[in-house]
Amino acid sequence: MRRGIRVLALASVLAAVGVASGAVPSYPDVVPGNALNFPADEGAHPPFRTEWWYVTGWLKTAAGAPLGFQVTFFRTRPDVDAANPSAFAARELVIAHAALSDPAAPRAKHAERIARAVFGLARAAVGRTDVTLGDWQLVSSGALFATRVKADDFAFELTLRRRGPVLLNGQGGFSRKGPAETSASWYYSIPGLAVTGALTRNGRPEPVTGEAWLDHEWSSAYLDPESVGWDWLGLNLDDGGALMAFRIRDAKGQARWAGGSLRSPDGRVLILEPGEVDFVAGRTWRSPHTGIRWPVEWRVRARSLEFGLRPLLDDQESDSRLTTGAVYWEGAVTAMGPAGRLGRGYLELTGYGEPLKLR
Amino acid sequence: MTAVLSVRGLTRRFTPDRPPVLEGLSFALQAGEYVAIMGESGVGKSTLLNLIAGLDRPEEGSIELDGRELTRLDDDALTLERRRSMGFVFQAFHVLPYLSVARNVALPLELLGWPAAEREARVNAMLAEVGLADSAARLPRELSGGELQRVAIARALAHRPRLLLADEPTGNLDPGTAAQVLRLLKTQVAAQGGAGILITHSRAAAATADRAFMLDGHSLTPLAVAG
Amino acid sequence: MSGFARARVAFTVLAAQLQDRPERLLVTIGAIALGIALSVSVTLVNASAADEFGRASRALTGSADLVIDGGRGGFDEALYPSVARRPEVTVASPVLETELALAAGGTLMVLGVDPFLAGRLEPAIYGDLASHFTGLLGARAIVLSAAAATTLNVGRGGTLRVRLGREERLLEVIDVLPSSAYPRPLGVMDLGSAQWTLLRLGRLSRLELRLAPGVDPARFGASLALPAGALIARGTDLEGRGASLRRAYYANLDMLALVALLTGGFLVFATQALSTLRRRAQFALLRALGVTRAEVTLAVVLEGALVGLAGGILGTALGWVIAREALARFGGDLGAGYAAGPGTPLAAPATTLVAFVALGVLVSALSSWLPARRVAALAPARALKGGDPEFALATSSGGRRGAGLLIAGGAIAFAPPLGGLPLAGYLSIALLLFGAVLLVPSFARLVLAHLPTRVGPIGRLALAQLQGTVAESAVSLAAIVVSFSLMVSMAIMVHSFRDSFERWLGGVLPADVYLRVAPGSDTVLLSDADGRDIAAIPGVERAELRRVLPVLLAPDRPAVALIARRLDAVSVDRLPLLERASATPADLPAVYVSEAVHDLYRVGIGSRLTLPVGGQGRAVVVAGIWRDYARSSGTILIEQGTYRAWSHDVASTDAALWLKSGASAALVGAELTRRLKLGASLELIETSDLKARSLTAFDRAFTITYLLEAIAVAIGLAGVGFAFASTALARRAEFGVLRHLGCSARQLKRLLAGEGALVGALGALYGLLVGGLLSLVLVYVVNRQSFHWSLDFVVPVGQLLLVALALVLAAATTARLAARGVLGTSAVRAAREDW
Repeated sequence: MRRGIRVLALASVLAAVGVASGAVPSYPDVVPGNALNFPADEGAHPPFRTEWWYVTGWLKTAAGAPLGFQVTFFRTRPDVDAANPSAFAARELVIAHAALSDPAAPRAKHAERIARAVFGLARAAVGRTDVTLGDWQLVSSGALFATRVKADDFAFELTLRRRGPVLLNGQGGFSRKGPAETSASWYYSIPGLAVTGALTRNGRPEPVTGEAWLDHEWSSAYLDPESVGWDWLGLNLDDGGALMAFRIRDAKGQARWAGGSLRSPDGRVLILEPGEVDFVAGRTWRSPHTGIRWPVEWRVRARSLEFGLRPLLDDQESDSRLTTGAVYWEGAVTAMGPAGRLGRGYLELTGYGEPLKLR
Repeated sequence: MTAVLSVRGLTRRFTPDRPPVLEGLSFALQAGEYVAIMGESGVGKSTLLNLIAGLDRPEEGSIELDGRELTRLDDDALTLERRRSMGFVFQAFHVLPYLSVARNVALPLELLGWPAAEREARVNAMLAEVGLADSAARLPRELSGGELQRVAIARALAHRPRLLLADEPTGNLDPGTAAQVLRLLKTQVAAQGGAGILITHSRAAAATADRAFMLDGHSLTPLAVAG
Repeated sequence: MSGFARARVAFTVLAAQLQDRPERLLVTIGAIALGIALSVSVTLVNASAADEFGRASRALTGSADLVIDGGRGGFDEALYPSVARRPEVTVASPVLETELALAAGGTLMVLGVDPFLAGRLEPAIYGDLASHFTGLLGARAIVLSAAAATTLNVGRGGTLRVRLGREERLLEVIDVLPSSAYPRPLGVMDLGSAQWTLLRLGRLSRLELRLAPGVDPARFGASLALPAGALIARGTDLEGRGASLRRAYYANLDMLALVALLTGGFLVFATQALSTLRRRAQFALLRALGVTRAEVTLAVVLEGALVGLAGGILGTALGWVIAREALARFGGDLGAGYAAGPGTPLAAPATTLVAFVALGVLVSALSSWLPARRVAALAPARALKGGDPEFALATSSGGRRGAGLLIAGGAIAFAPPLGGLPLAGYLSIALLLFGAVLLVPSFARLVLAHLPTRVGPIGRLALAQLQGTVAESAVSLAAIVVSFSLMVSMAIMVHSFRDSFERWLGGVLPADVYLRVAPGSDTVLLSDADGRDIAAIPGVERAELRRVLPVLLAPDRPAVALIARRLDAVSVDRLPLLERASATPADLPAVYVSEAVHDLYRVGIGSRLTLPVGGQGRAVVVAGIWRDYARSSGTILIEQGTYRAWSHDVASTDAALWLKSGASAALVGAELTRRLKLGASLELIETSDLKARSLTAFDRAFTITYLLEAIAVAIGLAGVGFAFASTALARRAEFGVLRHLGCSARQLKRLLAGEGALVGALGALYGLLVGGLLSLVLVYVVNRQSFHWSLDFVVPVGQLLLVALALVLAAATTARLAARGVLGTSAVRAAREDW
C-alpha cells in the first residue's frame, strides 16, 4: 500500500473523472483465497487499478561510503473510455521514480518519469517482471533482476541477485489494509537482494555493492476514508532475516490498522497481527522546503523485536506536489537494538503535511 | 622698436590679363602706431586689408605680424591669427542683430575661451570705454548707427588685438557721429597698445590718424594731413 | 588645434546662432519628428506582432531541437515509435494540430498532446497541466489558453460547443491556462482523446524532439526516413513561416516610413541650405573674427544634430503613442490579416527607441553636412558684402552625377531579392530619387527657358526671379519632387494593384454563390452526397465541390494551398493564366501553380513537382502559371479525380454554385442552411458581395499607405512653405524696392503666389515623370518580390492630374502665406537694411 501514494492520488482523481463522464471501467477486487502463482505473478496484472515494483536498498562505494537508493515502477489503469480506438489512448500509464540518498549531500536526489504504455515505449509485461519506461527499466531474468535509471543528475545500473524465496505478506499474499475487508492488496516482498553495479554521479561512474529489498503489490482499492496516512518499514536484518512492518493512521495520529512479516534466518515466517506492531515517534526534523515536521527517529516493536530507527540523513523528503499532490518522506534508515545494529532498510512516512486525499 | 606689421613686396593680381591691383608694396607699422591709408575706389585698399587679415592670398611678397610670417600659414592658422591678434571694424558695422550688445562684444572673448568672469569684466570695461555702459542688454535694432559702430569698436578691441583693421568705419555715418567714432578709434588703439590701420577715402577721417598715406598700387605716399 | 578647442568654438557659434529666430527650427524639427514617428510606429507595430508571434511559436515548439513537421495533413502515427526509439532522441513529443470548427462559427487551434512528454519540452504551456493531467484524459476534456477563454467567453468548468462533421458536441473546459503560458487562442487536449474525438485517428501533425547532448540536429534529421509530407524543421523555421508572411508587408511599411524620414531629412537639408545661405554674412563675420572653416561646419552640423535630437525625441514619443493606439485598435497587422487581432501587447525595447532618436540625429546632422560645408567654404571678404549666393545643387557635376545615379538605379532594379525582400528594388528607388534630385536644376533651367514670356509684368517678374535663382529654388523644388514623386509612384502601384485585383476577382469567381464550411477547419467537411443535395436545390443549376488543404513543401515556408477541383478545358480557360504549357507530358498529372509557387519554389512551365498526397510523394508537372491575389504563400490546382485517386479523400471544403437565371440567391441560401444543417459553420457568400468585401478589405489594407503618402507630401509642402518664408525674408529688401517702385502689396502677393505656383507646377511635372519611373520599380520589382504576384501597370491619369493641380494650388497658397509677414510696411523699411 505504502508505495501507492502517487498512484493512489492519481487513481482517485481518475476515478472522479470516470464517474463524471459516466464511463467507469470495472476493476477486480482483491479477495483472499486465490494462491499466488510464481513466476507468473511477478509480471503485471493489467485489470487491477494500480500495481508497483518497489526496490529500496543500501549501497556502498569502493571507498566504503554508504548510500541509499530507491527505484519504483508503477503501472496504473486510468478509467479512460474503453471504446477509444486511438493508439495513444491512455489505457495504461507507467510511472517511475528514483532517489539517491547520500549523507555527504544536504538532501536526497529525486527523479521521476511518467508515460502512457503505447507502442512498447513504456510497458509493464505480463508473466514476468519486465517494466520499461523509455530508458528506465526493471527486468527479471532467472535469479537476477536488472534495473537501469538515467536521471539528469544521477544514474545507476544495478544487478540484484535473489538469495532467498519470496516473502508472501498477509495470508499467502493477501494483505489487509484496514478494518474493512475490501481494503486490501496482493503483496509479496523479496528481501535480501545482493546488489552489484555502477552508480554515476556528476558524469563519473563508480562501482557499488549493497543489499536491497523488492516489493511487488497490486490492488484496486486501498484505504478507507478515515485513514490519512501511514508509516512503513522494510529491513534487511544483519542476521540474514527480514522484517516488514506498517501501520495506518487516522486523523488523530492513532493506528487504524497495522501488520507485518518477520522472517527469521532459517526461513520461518511470522505474520504480524495489528496488535503486534507499534510505531512510537522520536526526534522530529522540520523540512525547510515545506515546513512539515517529520518524525525521523522511531521506536518500533514487532512482536518481541524492539529497536530504534536512525535516518541516513534527515532530508529525504520527496516533494511531488507539482506532479501528484503528495509530500512524503522516504529514506534509508538503520535499526539499532539494545546490543547494537540490527539491520538496515527503508522507512516511508505519509500524511504528515496535508492529509492524503485518498477518497 | 620692432615692427608689429611688416609688409614686403606684396603683389595681388585677380586676373592674369589685367595689371595687378597691388604690386611690390612694402611698409611697416610700429607698436602704438595708428595710420590712415587713403586712395581712390578700386586702388586696392580693401584688397590690402583682406591680405593682411588673411582673408585673401597674395601672389608674391610677405606679411609679418610680430615677426610671424602670415603668407605661408594655412587657413586654420590664419584664422587663429585673426582670432588672437586682430580686430576688425567694418563700414556696415556687422553687429549680429539677434545678440545683445554685451554678447556681441563678448563674442571674440568667447571664441578665445575666456572664463566667464573675466569676460564679463572686460566687456563692461570696453562698453564703458565706448560710452555704452548702460546699453549692455540692448539689442542692435534699438541702437543708432553711431552706437552700432561703437559696439563694433568695443568688439574689435575687446581681446586686446595687436592690430586693428578698420575699413571705412564712418562710411555709413553722418559727419558729426563720424568724428566721434574716429576719435574713439584713435584713443582706443592707443589705450590698448597695438597698432591700427584705418582705410578711408575721406581726408577728414585720415586726418585723425597719427600718419596718413596715399595708396597707388605700388607704394604708400605719406600725406601731410595728420594733425 | 585640439578637437576640444574646436568643439568649444563650434558650441559658442552654435549658441550664438540659436539666438537667431529659433522658431525657424520648428518646421525642420517637425519634419524630422514626423518621419521618425512614422518609422517608430511601423517598426514597433511590426516588432510587437513579430514578438507575439515569436513567443507563441516558441511556446509551441519550446526547447525542441528538431521538429518533424507534417503540416496540417500530418503523417501516420507509426513514425512516432520508430523515431522515439532512436538512441539520439531524449524526448519525442507527438502532437496533433487541428483547426476545430466551433458551433458558433470560426475555428480554434487545438493541440492534442501527451502532457507528460510535451511538458518536458514546453513547460511554459504544459508545465502546470502535468500536475492535474488526470482530468485531461477525459475524452471530452479540453484546456483553453487565457486568450481562447476570453475570446470564446468560457471559463473553467464551462463547456465549449464544437462542430464535428454534421454533429455538434460539447467539450468540457477543465482548466484555463495562465495568460503567460500562451498569448494566442489555443485549446489543448490529450492526444488519445483528440485523435478519437476530433476524428483524426492514426494521424500526427508533428513530432517535437529533444536530442541527446552532442547530437547534431541536421545530421540526425537527414538520417531519418520520413514519409511524404513530413519535413524536418527547426524551431526557427516555424517562427520564420509566420514571419515570412508578414515580412514583406512590414518591409513595405518600413520603407514608406523611411521614405517619410528621408523626405524629412531632405527638408532639413533644404532649410539648412537656405538658412545658411541667408546667414552667410554672419558666418563670414564669424570667419573674419577668427572662426575656422571646420568650426563653422561643425557648428552648422551641430545645429542639424540638435534639430534631429529634438525631432527624434518628439517623433519617437509620437510614434510610440501611434503604435500603442494602432495595436489596441487594429492589432499587429494594422487590419491587413497577417497577424493576431486587436490587443497585441506593445513591445518597445529601450534600445529601439534610443536607436530611432539616434537615427533622427544622424539623418538631420548628415543633411546639414553639405550646407555646412558650403557656407564654411564661402570667401568671407565677399560674403561680408552680401555676394556669393551660389548653391551646391546647381553645380554642373550635379547633373552628371544625377544621370549616373539614374542609370545605376535603373540597372540595380533587375537584381534578385535578398533574403526574400526586394532590397535591391528599394535601393534602386533611392538611387533614382537622388539622381532625379541632382537633375532638378537642369530640369528647372530647361523648362523655365521654354516658358512663354507674355504673361504680364508680375508674371514676368516671377519668371525672372525663378530663372535668376534656379539654384535656390532647386532646393525647395527638390523637396516637392522627393515627396510628390514617391506619392505618384505609390498611387500608380496601388492603382495598378487595385485594377488588377478587380479584374482578377471577376476571373476567379465565375460562379454566383460560394459556399464554405468552417473555413480552415479540419473537423467539418462536405461529402459528395452533400454536393448532390446542393445541386438538387431548386434554383441551383450546377454545384462544384472543391477540396482546399494546406500542404507543406518546405520547412521554413508557410503551407501552400492545394486545391483539388474539376479542371476541364473550360475551367482551365477561365483561370487567370499568365503562362500555359503548349503540351504537357501525358504520363504525369498536370497542376496549375500560382505565381508565388513559381517564385518561391523556382518552378516553371514543364517543371516536375512532388506533392505529398495520401502519405506518398506524387509527381506532377506544371502546366500553367496563374495569378492568385488571395494567397501570397502559394496555391496549386489539381484535378479532383487525380487527388481523390491518390488520397482516397473524397471530402470537400468549398462549393461553387451556379444559379438558374432568375433564381434568388437568398432563397437558395435559406434552403442550403436548412438542408445542410451546418449551423454557423456554413458560410455563404454571393459573388457580388464577395467582390465588394474584397475591395473594401483591399482599400483598408492600403489606408496606411495613403496616410503615409499624404504625410510625405505634407512634409514636402512644409518645405516649400519654409523655403518661401526664408527667401521672402532674404528678399525683404527686394520687396521694399518693388514697393518703392510702385508695386502694391497685393501685386507682391500675386508675385509670390505666382512663383509658388510655378515651383509647384515644376515640381508636379517633374514629380510625375520621376514618380512614373519609380512606379515601374514598385510594380515590377518591389511588389513582385514582396508578394509574388504580378500586376498590370495602370496609371490613374485623372487622379494624378487632380493631385498635381492640388499641389500647384497648395504651393501657391503656401508661398503666399509664408511671405505674409514681410510684405507689410516693414518691407519698405527693409530696403535700407543690409542683413
